[in-house]
Amino acid sequence: MKFLLWIPFFVFPALVRSDFILTIFIFSFILGIAAVSFNLIFGFTGQLSMFHAAAFGIAAYITSLTVSLFHVSFWLGLLPSIGFAIVISLLIGSICFKFRLRAFYFAVVTLAFSELARLVILNWNDVTNGTLGLMVLDKPSLWLPMVGQLRIEGAMGWYFLSLAALIFTVGLCSLVLRSWIGRCFAAIRLNEDLAQTLGINIFRYKLLSFTLANALAAIAGSLYAFYTGYIEPNYLSINQSLDIISMVLLGGRSSIAGPIAGAFVLTGLPHVIDLSGEARAMLYGLVLIVTILMMPQGVIGTFAVWRRAA
Amino acid sequence: MLLELVEVTKRFGGLTAVSDISFSIEKGEIFGILGPNGSGKTTLLNLITGILTPTAGRIVWKATEIQGRSPHAIAAAGVVKTFQNPQLFLELSIYDNIAIATHLPLQRQLGLRRLAGLLPWSAAARGSNVMGRIDHILALCRLDDVRDRTAAGLSYGQEKMLGLAMAMMCEPDLLLLDEPASGLGEDEIRTLEEVLRDLRNAATTLCVIDHKVDFLARVADRAIALQQGMMIAQGTPADVLRHPRVIEAYLGRQHARA
Repeated sequence: MKFLLWIPFFVFPALVRSDFILTIFIFSFILGIAAVSFNLIFGFTGQLSMFHAAAFGIAAYITSLTVSLFHVSFWLGLLPSIGFAIVISLLIGSICFKFRLRAFYFAVVTLAFSELARLVILNWNDVTNGTLGLMVLDKPSLWLPMVGQLRIEGAMGWYFLSLAALIFTVGLCSLVLRSWIGRCFAAIRLNEDLAQTLGINIFRYKLLSFTLANALAAIAGSLYAFYTGYIEPNYLSINQSLDIISMVLLGGRSSIAGPIAGAFVLTGLPHVIDLSGEARAMLYGLVLIVTILMMPQGVIGTFAVWRRAA
Repeated sequence: MLLELVEVTKRFGGLTAVSDISFSIEKGEIFGILGPNGSGKTTLLNLITGILTPTAGRIVWKATEIQGRSPHAIAAAGVVKTFQNPQLFLELSIYDNIAIATHLPLQRQLGLRRLAGLLPWSAAARGSNVMGRIDHILALCRLDDVRDRTAAGLSYGQEKMLGLAMAMMCEPDLLLLDEPASGLGEDEIRTLEEVLRDLRNAATTLCVIDHKVDFLARVADRAIALQQGMMIAQGTPADVLRHPRVIEAYLGRQHARA
């Protein structure tokens, strides 16, 4: 019955017509996809990947370059970026998991790969236009029954497109996590030695988690690029990774809903409280520290505990 | 012959933990490995289950050499062990702990059809009979009353039974038990013996390690004794316990301490 919780999101734009608020929701939805998928590898499998922003950013570049160079639709452009995310995840994942890099070692090596990707994009001027970034002028379009071909341009269109993508992500993640795959992820997170003696191929399931997470991040990155109409190397920066980690920690990493809540808070907060860039970063940090100290299970996790206690 | 060890040796640097050990385990028997603390019993189990790789020697399982294979592959081939100090998924409920252990039977039964089980509407491919066995095993190990409690809240005896329950859920051909009776009370030992008998009736071969002589003498069909990594006796538990070197090395020391 959990899908009923989505209904308010479908009614919401009919009640609130403000583009400003819809924009916050669109960013929250798209970053929510990134946060939910990051939580697959981080919260559910227990591996701190620092490659998530890189998968997000690389996909933003590949999708928009494919669309602008080959004049194909957004949806066709999405395929090579998801494909590349899968290939690169298998490659990096194999290296990290073959050498059994755990905890910080995994984080540091994935961070190194993600910096590598950022530097390649930063310096490959002919293709990526370096620090200046690229404009993304195309927009995705959808064929809908009764409506026909629809170009996703205004806030309303983007609201529903990003909402649909978020629902797809949440649906896929919950199916995976409810199955034996989710049990393997939990086993790896909680006790690798025991998981192995129960016959779980740790290498395979870590790789699966990492790959799935990055493939979904690729969808988020592509949507983000086409929504903002602009891509730059900073999409792959460590700050972007930290933002996503913050969302997950803030919302709670033991559920699927947690990271979405985190995405809403951290996306909405700077708009609700109008602050300059530096002050915003400080607020981010403050909110994060206070939450981690006061609510180690995140907003959603703490809420769940209250409800159980009540 | 189900499992055969041929001249297996394991050295850690200068220390020889297991030295030139050969024995075999037949299908359907309960095999005992006896020895005081530090005699290399646990190392031997870790060698068989692939957690450690032998320095020399061969380990043959169902006519294939398995030394050097990864632990999960050996578990999938049918050799599963329990831990001396129970290893559990502490944050999860008892039920969920055992549910994780359904991995191997589900994999065996469904293979890639498990993927179809991902779809919300295809309940058939989700292996309901395997999941149904969880209840059976919970009852057998006397854990049905606490099934929804988290594993962190169990008594030591229950922890051990949960470890055994998870190993049983893997449906192994050979189950290696590392000191299953240590730290258990009288009642719990009786439950354990019942479970072991039940396992044997279900054609599971058992290999039990213990430093408690009386428990092994009761349950084992055949046994070997280890001392400082070397095998000093083998035969029926009674023969092994009568062996002069065992009395000297094992009982003698215990008497000396008392």
